[in-house]
Amino acid sequence: MIFFGYHIPIEVIYVLAIIFSILTICSVIFQILYYKKETTLLKELITRIHSWWKITIGIAIIITAPPIIGTILLAFISFVALREMFSIGRIRSADRVALFVGYFAVPVQYYLAYNNFYEVFLYFIPLIMFISIPVILVLTGKTKMIGRSMSIIPAMLMLTVYMLSYIALLFNIESTNFSAGPGGLIIFLIMLTSFNDVFQFTWGKLLGRHKILPNVSPNKTWEGFVGGIFSTAGLAYLIKFLTPLEGYQALIIGFIIGVIGFLGDSLISAIKRDLNIKDTDDLIPGHGGAMDRLDSIILTAPVFYHLLTYFIEH
Amino acid sequence: MKHIFLRSFYALLVRPWLKYIIGVNFQNREIFNDLDQYIIVANHNSHFDTVSIMAALPGKKIKSTSAVAAADYFGKTSLASRATNFFFNAILIHRKNNEGGPSTLDILDEQLKKGQSLVLFPEGSRGKPGVIKDFKTGIAVLLKQNPTIPFVPVYLDGFGRVLPKDNKLIIPLVCKVRLGSPIYPKNEDIDAILDEVKKAVLELKNNDERDRNQFEY
Repeated sequence: MIFFGYHIPIEVIYVLAIIFSILTICSVIFQILYYKKETTLLKELITRIHSWWKITIGIAIIITAPPIIGTILLAFISFVALREMFSIGRIRSADRVALFVGYFAVPVQYYLAYNNFYEVFLYFIPLIMFISIPVILVLTGKTKMIGRSMSIIPAMLMLTVYMLSYIALLFNIESTNFSAGPGGLIIFLIMLTSFNDVFQFTWGKLLGRHKILPNVSPNKTWEGFVGGIFSTAGLAYLIKFLTPLEGYQALIIGFIIGVIGFLGDSLISAIKRDLNIKDTDDLIPGHGGAMDRLDSIILTAPVFYHLLTYFIEH
Repeated sequence: MKHIFLRSFYALLVRPWLKYIIGVNFQNREIFNDLDQYIIVANHNSHFDTVSIMAALPGKKIKSTSAVAAADYFGKTSLASRATNFFFNAILIHRKNNEGGPSTLDILDEQLKKGQSLVLFPEGSRGKPGVIKDFKTGIAVLLKQNPTIPFVPVYLDGFGRVLPKDNKLIIPLVCKVRLGSPIYPKNEDIDAILDEVKKAVLELKNNDERDRNQFEY
C-alpha cells in the first residue's frame, strides 16, 4: 500500500490493524467496567493499556516510517535505557567521565547499524568500548572499586545499546523473496517477544505450580515457561508470512525466542533484586522503567538476527 | 516581550532538554494550578537546581517567580549577574553582611509584598549530595511576616550526580523534581516554622527508598 508516496507492505498493515483492534477492544471493555464499578485493579489496568497504546504507536512509527526515522527512534530508546541503567547502577563519582564517553557509543553504534558497516558494528562495543572504558577509568586514577566499574559499564552498554541496535540492523536485510520487508521482520520479533511474556504470565497464572527460579523471580513457574514457549512457537508459525522463513524455521525461531525471552526477563529481574529495587524507573505509567519493558527483547534481538540471516543464507 | 521569550525558551528548549536528554522527571506539577503566590523551598546540591525548578513552573508563573542567588557568586561579573537576572529573574543577595545596605530579609520581604514568588535554598550553599544541612532562619522569618503565602517544599533528587559541586561535566542521569503540596505554616514561633519547613522537605526525600543524589564512592 502506498502512503504519501511511501510504500508500506500490506502484511505489516494487517498485523498493525489487528494489534490496534485488540487494544481498542481492551480499552473499551476496561472503560465500561470502570464506569460500572471503580476498582483499583481496573484503574491499574487502564493505566497499563494507556501505556501500551503509546508503546504500540511508537512501534508502528518505527516499522512504517523510513529507516532513518526508525533508527533515530531506536537510538533514543537505547539512550533512555542506558541512562536508566547508569542511574540505578552502583556508580562512583570517579566514573562520570567514563559514563559521559559511554553515552557516545549510542549514536556511533546506530550509525554503524544504519549504514550496515556489519563488521565494525559487531566489534565496536564488545571490543573498542570494552577496552576504552576501563582505560578511561584507569586514567582518572581512583582505584577503589575500579574493578566493579570496569565490568558493569561495558556490560550496561552491551545490554542496552549493542543488543537493541540489532533491531536497527534488521532494516538492512534484503527483501528479495518476501514482501513484508524489514518492517515485517521487526514486528515479527517484537510480537513474538512481547506475546511470549504474556503467554508465560498467563500459563503461569492458569497452571503454575512448580517454581522455576524461586530466588530470582518467585512468580515464574515451569508450567508458565513450557506453555509460553509452545504458544510462542505456534504464534511464530501463524505469522511467518511476515518473514522469508519456512514453517519449521519459524517454529525453531519461536521456540528459541520463548527460551531467550524468559532468560532476558530473569536477567533484569536478578539485577533489580541485587539492587533491591522493584522497577528500574517510573517512566512508563503502570509498567515501570524502560528497561522493565525492554528486558526480554535485549536478548531476543541479536539471537533472532543471527538465526534469521543463517536461515536466509542456507 | 522578555516574558514571551522566556516562556517559550523554557517550554521549547529548557524543559525538553531537561526531560529528554538529562532525564529529569517533574512530579506533581499540577500543584501550581490554583496557587498565586508561594515560596519554593528546596535542597541544594548543584547549579542545575535553579534551572530545573524554573522549568517545573507553568509558563505563566515564570515571570512572577524570582530565584534568590548569592551575589558573591553570581554577581562576580556583570555578564553573570545580567544572565542570572534575565533567565531566573534573580534577586542577588549578599550571604555575608553587606554594611550600609538594606538587609537581605528586607529585600526579599519587599519582593513578596510586591506579589513576587520566590525560589529559596535555605541550606545557604550547595551541600554534600544526599545530606540536608541545617536550614537558615530567613525562610521562617519571611513565612511569619507573610502568613498568607504558603511554602512549596521541593526535593531535588539526582542533580548532585548530574552536575556535582566543583565539576563542569554534565552527564545525563535520571533525576526527579519532587514537588510537594503547598503548606501554610501552622506555628507562630520561628524555630517551629523552620522545623515544619525542613520536615516537609525531608518527607519528600523519604518518599522514595532510593536516593539518587549519592555516589557510592
